[in-house]
Amino acid sequence: MTDYGHDLLFGTFVTPVAQQARQVVELAVTADRAGLDLVTFQDHPYQASFLDTSTLLAFAAGRTERIHLSANVTSLPLRPPAVLARASASLDLLSGGRFELGIGAGAFWDGIAAMGGRRLTAAQGVTALREGIEIIRELWDTTTPGGVRYDGQYYSVKGAKRGPRPAHDIPIWVGAYKPKMLALTGSIADGWLPTIEYLPSGADSLPELNARIDTAAHDAGRDPAAVRRLMNFMKVQFSTTPSGLLNGPPEAWVDQIADLALTHGISAFIIGGDDPTITERFASEVAPAVRAIVERERTGVA
Amino acid sequence: MKMDIGVVLDASSPAGTTRDATALARLAEKRGLDLVVIAGNEAAGQPAGLDVWTAAAWLAGATSRIGIGVAVAAPSSPDPTDPEAPYPSVVTKAQGSLDIMAEGRIISDPAGWVVAPRDAKPEELATLAGAGLPVVVPVDSSEDIERLAALVAGPDGGSAARRRPAAARARRLPTIDYDGLPASLAETAIEPGDPGYRAVSATYLRGGAPGVVLRPRTPAEASDAVEFARRHRHLPLGIRSAGHGISGRSTNQGGLVIDVSAMNTIEVLDPDRRLVRIGPGATWKQIAAALTPYGWALGSGDYGGVGVGGLATAAGIGLLSRSHGLTIDHLRSVDLVLADGRQVRASRDDNPELFWAVRGAGANFGIATSFEFEVDEVGEVGWAQLVLLSTDIEESLRRYGEFASTAPRDTTVFLVTGQPRQGVSSIQLYAVVDSPDPDTVVERLTPFLELGTLTRQHVVMTPYSGVMSNAADIGPDGHQGFGEPHSRSAFLPALTADFARDAAAMLRSGAVYFFELRAMGGAIADPPPDEASFTHRAPAFQLTAMAGNNQRLNAVWEPLRPHFDGLYLSFETDLNPKRLLDAFPAPVLERLRDLKRRYDPDNLFRDNFNIDPKLTTPTAKEAIA
Repeated sequence: MTDYGHDLLFGTFVTPVAQQARQVVELAVTADRAGLDLVTFQDHPYQASFLDTSTLLAFAAGRTERIHLSANVTSLPLRPPAVLARASASLDLLSGGRFELGIGAGAFWDGIAAMGGRRLTAAQGVTALREGIEIIRELWDTTTPGGVRYDGQYYSVKGAKRGPRPAHDIPIWVGAYKPKMLALTGSIADGWLPTIEYLPSGADSLPELNARIDTAAHDAGRDPAAVRRLMNFMKVQFSTTPSGLLNGPPEAWVDQIADLALTHGISAFIIGGDDPTITERFASEVAPAVRAIVERERTGVA
Repeated sequence: MKMDIGVVLDASSPAGTTRDATALARLAEKRGLDLVVIAGNEAAGQPAGLDVWTAAAWLAGATSRIGIGVAVAAPSSPDPTDPEAPYPSVVTKAQGSLDIMAEGRIISDPAGWVVAPRDAKPEELATLAGAGLPVVVPVDSSEDIERLAALVAGPDGGSAARRRPAAARARRLPTIDYDGLPASLAETAIEPGDPGYRAVSATYLRGGAPGVVLRPRTPAEASDAVEFARRHRHLPLGIRSAGHGISGRSTNQGGLVIDVSAMNTIEVLDPDRRLVRIGPGATWKQIAAALTPYGWALGSGDYGGVGVGGLATAAGIGLLSRSHGLTIDHLRSVDLVLADGRQVRASRDDNPELFWAVRGAGANFGIATSFEFEVDEVGEVGWAQLVLLSTDIEESLRRYGEFASTAPRDTTVFLVTGQPRQGVSSIQLYAVVDSPDPDTVVERLTPFLELGTLTRQHVVMTPYSGVMSNAADIGPDGHQGFGEPHSRSAFLPALTADFARDAAAMLRSGAVYFFELRAMGGAIADPPPDEASFTHRAPAFQLTAMAGNNQRLNAVWEPLRPHFDGLYLSFETDLNPKRLLDAFPAPVLERLRDLKRRYDPDNLFRDNFNIDPKLTTPTAKEAIA
């Protein structure tokens, strides 16, 4: 049993299709009104049919009231870290602390190169991400005097202006699958944000992957609980008979999610599907029941 | 003079003013101001302020009407090692995205507004507004905004006439005299900055960004629109009924579109003669539904979403054509707006030469505003949609050609296919058997089952409206086409074994994703060839091929040419003038050109298989050379 004790978060993963911009924003508004905690958008700037995710996040934040927002996940190779830090902090300030920073080392290098970005190997990408995260945190730190100086392998800056400082300590959630990325997540990130369909053996991979993050955290002198474990679920459906993970009646979803929370320490559940009905049912029929079970288990006998 | 007034908000002091910025922008919107400019402050020695682009996108989301101004710095050349240097490609994409989401409320060029001093007096604001740009005043508090709103509210409280917000007017093109639009059209015209613009910019198969879409509701307004177009002769001019045109480019870049979709009435004029009057913007789905209660039908093409205007001025080769002839064969008269703005009627008795020309080359002569058709008595028909899998597409095509051309004229069968996958072709057949007797329907269709292994079938007895009803209606977001379609069209005198062999090779090349054969013959061939300017009455089939890449399409299409005799212009995107002689045999083209000189001497209508009045018709030999 692994449970890192975080409050549970429930959210959606929305495809930012430009042709359906109104519906995309409306899906965020639906999630907000339904009482979900998080709405997230994938970030693929080279995908011509998608909206720019940074701009969409700001626009959707302006349309919503309570929900938190994040890219899922930001493609660092096309989002220079200082630019990203300032946009993130600005949106966090404007939205009253509702912005979170999901980030990844980048994928689809052909697309990145086509947009003018730099093509890196997987290993180089990990180092670049570490540097990027360090720069972002430096920019957000307005108490240290003087400009930001950074001389990295992939990024360097001589005296960048600090700030703005975000409204809250924006957590940095890393999309990670391979050992080096998992190690980076454990050593410096505030969260781990993978997609269950991309894990080698789905939920069965979780003990091993969690352990890698935990080990890296220990090695860095951190409490593994400092790294929240989030999870995307792309293929979800409410149906009358259970046939797989998050494909069945709401009660089956509740059991499966509660189990992931209590057995594997997953504390944020983000579903795809781009369907307002699923969003509303997730908020009303699943989230409260999962919270009740987890609450009971955490405070009760266990 | 009504002026546009806005405010400037300072993004440089995040700690104190960010929450205020939102409240101030919302107040400015509530008080009827026109623009909020969010301005950064790069003063040295101060902590960085809000990122202005993020703030602009946030404010656009947090408001609903007011324009948002933001000066987007031209990004430097990309430097992946510089964490402060944004990628130009991403900046451009961000701007396009905010345009879409904010539906034209964004002005991202600082030349789009004038900044007044904080304490400017009304006369001063009026002077600055003389440039025609919105005037913005820096503000820090809600009191500042209230004071400004009171200043500009004026005694009349604003005018009722439609006036576009500053952000919308900032998108006007310098090449178009928007303010010169007659009042009749100004009310319904859609400009690039209007909220409805995206819904009218694309067509079914084509993306576009016209400079203005004029939407006449009456023939008189259509005449006004033509008059306006004459003053913009230098720009592309598209005529749109329902936006399905392929040769008819009913959208463009920076030009004019005259959209006649509002003229879509359908009325019965004379029940005894089955005479109906139909507006050019009606769709064939609507017409079929309106005629069904009378037990009537008017043959069209193969898709109910298509509009009347384009099809009924080209030919109309459809699923009722073998039994009832072409759509143009039912046309008794047409009302047109000519290039000089005149409204005329063309029929056998009125302007008979024009009537001849419009039935085949209508797009060259005017804008149809009303059609009168004599429709047919058509009861229930057999309507079949079949999917068959074939491992030998060459043989399937050959046999389809045999069955479809020798079938009784009550039977019209179209074939659609694409690239074979792992050697297997999926063949879709669309068939109408004009018989109310199910046994006859089954008998007529049975031979076609030999074309492959039947994997899906949907066969019903239905009025013709049931054949047209599967077309999707155009939703509030309009058509979703993008880019340019690449399509080739041809007539086949006969579907020979050699054609089947060569067509199969073309399909196997993978260059063509859509391949359709429409069976002709039957009633199409009944009228004499000189009945109308559409003269291709003898072919057995009409062929269409569409591809993603024009060069590849040309490469695979060229070997098929020996099998062809002419083309149906509606499905052809090639702009080579030689294609004119494929659409119109030389004597027909010559006659059309004479008429073009008479009716459109300045070549206003040139968007669809243009017959240039200034050229002479080449002989067939010259055209080939």
